[in-house]
Amino acid sequence: MTLASAHVAGVGMVRFGKHPVSVTLEDLGEQAARSALAEAGAASAQVDAVFVGHVFGGPVAGQRIAVRLGLDGKPVSNHENYCASGATAIREAWTALAAGLHDVVLVIGVEKMTDRISGGVRPDPNDLDAAVGYVMAAGHAMSARRYMADHGATREQIAMVAVKNHAHSVHNPFAQYQRAISLDEVLQARQIAEPLGLLDCSPISDGAAAMVLCSPRGAQRLGLAAGAPRVLGCALVSGSVERAGESINAERVSRNAAEQAWRLTGVDPADIDVVEMHDCFTIAEIVRLEGLGLVPVGEGARWTAEGHTSLGGRLPVNPSGGLLSRGHPVGATGVAQAVELTWQLRGSAGGRQVENARVGLAYCKGGTVSGTDGGSVTTLVMAR
Amino acid sequence: MAPSTELPPFRAGLFQLDPFALLGTRCTACGEAGFPARSFCAGCRADGDAIVPATFAERGEVVSFTVVRQAPAGVEVPYVLARVLVDEGPRVMAQIVGAASTEVEIGDRVRVVPAVFPSADGSDRAGFAFQIEQEENA
Repeated sequence: MTLASAHVAGVGMVRFGKHPVSVTLEDLGEQAARSALAEAGAASAQVDAVFVGHVFGGPVAGQRIAVRLGLDGKPVSNHENYCASGATAIREAWTALAAGLHDVVLVIGVEKMTDRISGGVRPDPNDLDAAVGYVMAAGHAMSARRYMADHGATREQIAMVAVKNHAHSVHNPFAQYQRAISLDEVLQARQIAEPLGLLDCSPISDGAAAMVLCSPRGAQRLGLAAGAPRVLGCALVSGSVERAGESINAERVSRNAAEQAWRLTGVDPADIDVVEMHDCFTIAEIVRLEGLGLVPVGEGARWTAEGHTSLGGRLPVNPSGGLLSRGHPVGATGVAQAVELTWQLRGSAGGRQVENARVGLAYCKGGTVSGTDGGSVTTLVMAR
Repeated sequence: MAPSTELPPFRAGLFQLDPFALLGTRCTACGEAGFPARSFCAGCRADGDAIVPATFAERGEVVSFTVVRQAPAGVEVPYVLARVLVDEGPRVMAQIVGAASTEVEIGDRVRVVPAVFPSADGSDRAGFAFQIEQEENA
């Protein structure tokens, strides 16, 4: 089954990072949306609907942003799938366009975290995971320890994910961190959940990203020139109950998401030129690439250390800096990944441009549910 | 008996007290264990009468572990969190109590013991943890 693709008419972003308390969630969302609307040349009257991804914005945050943009009265929906919220909003927008329900839609991913979250995000307090003291870093730390034991990978190889992604975002003016870091800095950083330290973890961030998506009819309405990047499709799967005997790094959820993405879009994994990967923790980038089938199982750490996932390597991953260095305002991340792919596919990514990027994939993973291999996973495929 | 067993349980049906053991389900079609109890089999997807109550072994093996050194406000650190494969049973995540982190290794033998869980309303509840079986790992 292949649905019609959605054209990207415009994108916008607010630099990720720590914004003052006086800058509200609504401010961030509005600013990113205005940039995207301006680039698309879309007046508010030309926008049919608004899809907003956020986690901590509170009830009807999307409507609070839309009304500032003169989009009051339009259909506005709020999408929560934890760290995959923004990507889920894109998926819903894409399906609404493909169904013919709307022709021009605005997608916003937005989060204001630094004034309300400290020490890391945690599972729902009623979930058994919360009761045993699970925090996101702990799950990834156990994954890392087991990965090293199973594949002979080293702590240094895993840390190289952070070194690589920070090196990439030196060239990204929208990244929270725009400074290269050394392997030693990663290894010497304060321990969070052994063996992972502070620089193995994505930061707590504020930020927003937005895009105007349209159907062919909407492209006509906006006078969009031919050749704009397109969203070919976005798969969504949930984690399933883990088997007692399977590896804790089995990544069945990633494999399922990949298979669904190839089926939905007709794209072959060998076609992927660039990946925006949900590297909420260093090890996560490695095991998820393997789960997707883009890197052989057990070789991701070595690939990273040898530069195969760096700019100029055989499969550049996170030219934006990823969550580790661009920052991770959770509801905004999925949209920011799609904005980065848009720039990559337009060839306008400057010093972090992946040469001749034609097809890109973005992966988000949101939340945990006790006993399963995850909450939600999205795999977004875009092409020029 | 540890005082934690006098608290109300975090959730009914997670464990029995004497002897202390985790409770769940077993699929009679393929043998897969379910913890907490589930109405279906995660392996062969059987449900209904194929799923029966099960009491799991007290011992298991550490699949992986970490020492948590930073947690959200109100949670005391450090603590050791592990994923344990219970003998012929489910894979369970819980803390390892009574051991310094440097004493834990993948493959260590552990035993399930009563412990205190925090609950959503902030009160203490009865829960479970694992303890290293020193003699078996010597």
